[in-house]
Amino acid sequence: AACHVLKAAGSEGNIGPNLDTVEGLNYDSVMDIVTHGLGVMPAFGEDEILTKEEIDIVSFYVANSVGK
Amino acid sequence: MKKNIRKTNLSRRNFLSGTATLAGIAATASVVPISIANANHSEGKKGLPDFINWKDRDALIVHSDKGIETHRSAIGESLVTPNRNIYIRNNMPTMTDTQIGDRKKWKVSIEGVKNPQTFTLAQLQKLGHETMATILQCSGNGRGFFEHKPRGSQWKTGAAACVLWTGVPVKTVVDACGGISGGAVYMTSEGIDHEPTGLDPKKAMIARSVPKKVYKDAMLAWEMNGVALPNAHGGPLRMVTPGYFGINNVKHLGKVAFTSKESSVKYMAKSYRISPIGKKGSQYPSCWEMPVKSWITRPTDETGTVKAGKVQIVGVAMGGTKKVRSVKVSVDGGSSWKKAKFIGPNLGKYAWRQFVLETTLSAGSYNIASLASNGSDKQPELRMENRRGYAHNGWKDHSVNITVV
Repeated sequence: AACHVLKAAGSEGNIGPNLDTVEGLNYDSVMDIVTHGLGVMPAFGEDEILTKEEIDIVSFYVANSVGK
Repeated sequence: MKKNIRKTNLSRRNFLSGTATLAGIAATASVVPISIANANHSEGKKGLPDFINWKDRDALIVHSDKGIETHRSAIGESLVTPNRNIYIRNNMPTMTDTQIGDRKKWKVSIEGVKNPQTFTLAQLQKLGHETMATILQCSGNGRGFFEHKPRGSQWKTGAAACVLWTGVPVKTVVDACGGISGGAVYMTSEGIDHEPTGLDPKKAMIARSVPKKVYKDAMLAWEMNGVALPNAHGGPLRMVTPGYFGINNVKHLGKVAFTSKESSVKYMAKSYRISPIGKKGSQYPSCWEMPVKSWITRPTDETGTVKAGKVQIVGVAMGGTKKVRSVKVSVDGGSSWKKAKFIGPNLGKYAWRQFVLETTLSAGSYNIASLASNGSDKQPELRMENRRGYAHNGWKDHSVNITVV
C-alpha cells in the first residue's frame, strides 16, 4: 500500500515513482528527500513526522533494498 | 555515515519489525492514505512503464517510471516533437481510461466569470476550435547541471518539447460565460488527477494560478500533435499556458477560476518557488514565465562520429513569452560567436525555432554552445543558482563537447 513500489518491501503504491526504477538512489539522496519532502511527499524530517533516527533507518533500508 | 548506521542497528531492527516496511512507516505517520491509485506503474515491454508503453524507448532517458526525458538528439529535429519522444513528468499518477470514463462527458467548470458554467468536452468542442504551437518545458529542465544536486529528476535538456495543441481558446470560453468578474487577478487551473489517490487536496491537488493576462493566449486543449490528448499528458483535457513553465499547463483539468488570490494548495503556495539555496517560502517567485533559451541538438556524442570537413550544427531556440530574435553559435567555448540561420516554419512566438550553422571543422576537440536572444533578454553565461534547480537557461552548462576525427 501507500506511495511507492518497492519490491523488496512488498510495497505497491503509485503516488510517487517506483523506487526500484529511480536512478542513483543512495543513502544520502533518500535521506535528503525523506527529510525535506518532494512534491506531494511530506517532509518527514522538517515537519517532525519521523525522528532523525527513524529517517536514518528508512534511508538505509531503502538505499539497500532498491532493485532487489 | 557508517558510524551512525552501526549505532542505530538495534533500533533499526526494532523499528522495521514494528512496522514491517517503509510503506508501513508511512502509513503509521498518518499522512499517507491507505487507499492507492489504480496501479499502472508496472514495467511493460521495452523498459517503459505500461502507461507510456507506446513511447519510443530509444528516444528516452528513464530517470524513474515517472520522470522520463527526451535524448538531446531526439528533440526538435523537425520542429515539432513527436508524441512518442516527449518527456513525462507527472506529479500525480496518470488517470486511467476507467477513471476518466466517457471522454466526451469530461467536465470542466468555469468560475470567476459573470455566468459560471460547467462544460463537457463535447460542449467545448462546439464552442470553438483553434490550433497553436507552444513549448512545454518542465520548470526543472537543466536541473542536472546544478552542482549542489537539487532534489528531483536530473534533467539536462530533454524535459522540453514543441507541441501543436488543438482545443478552444480560453478567451472564447470566457466570452461564452459573459466575461471575467471584477477583481480577478489570477487565472487558477485545477486538475482532478489527485482524486483517485484519496490524498488531501490541499497537499495533492495540482492547482496553479498565473497572472490573469495569460488567459488571452491560453487554450483548453484536447488534442496533441494531431491525436487525442494522451492520458499521460493530461487527457482528455488540459490547460495550455503559452510561455509558462510546464506545471502551469494543468493536466486532467477540472476547473478554471478567475480569482483574486493565488491558490492556497501546496503546489502553488510552497512548491515551484525559485528561492536561494538553503531558503524556501511563498515569498519567492513562482515558476511562471520561461526565460529565453537554446541548446544544440546535433552533433553530440549521441549522434555518432563527426568527420572533419563541413558540419551542420543544429539546435532549437525559444524566446519564452517573446519571439526569439537571434541565435549565435560558438565552437570554441564562447570565445567567438557566429550568427546561426533560422530554418523551418515559424509557428509563432511561443514555439521554438530550429537553427543551423554550417561550418567547417578540422580534427580536434570542440565545445559547441548556442546563445539566443529575444530582443530584450539573452541567455546568461552561467546558471542562476537556486534551491530546487529551476529555470536554468545559462548557455555554458548547455554546451556540448565533441571530437572531430
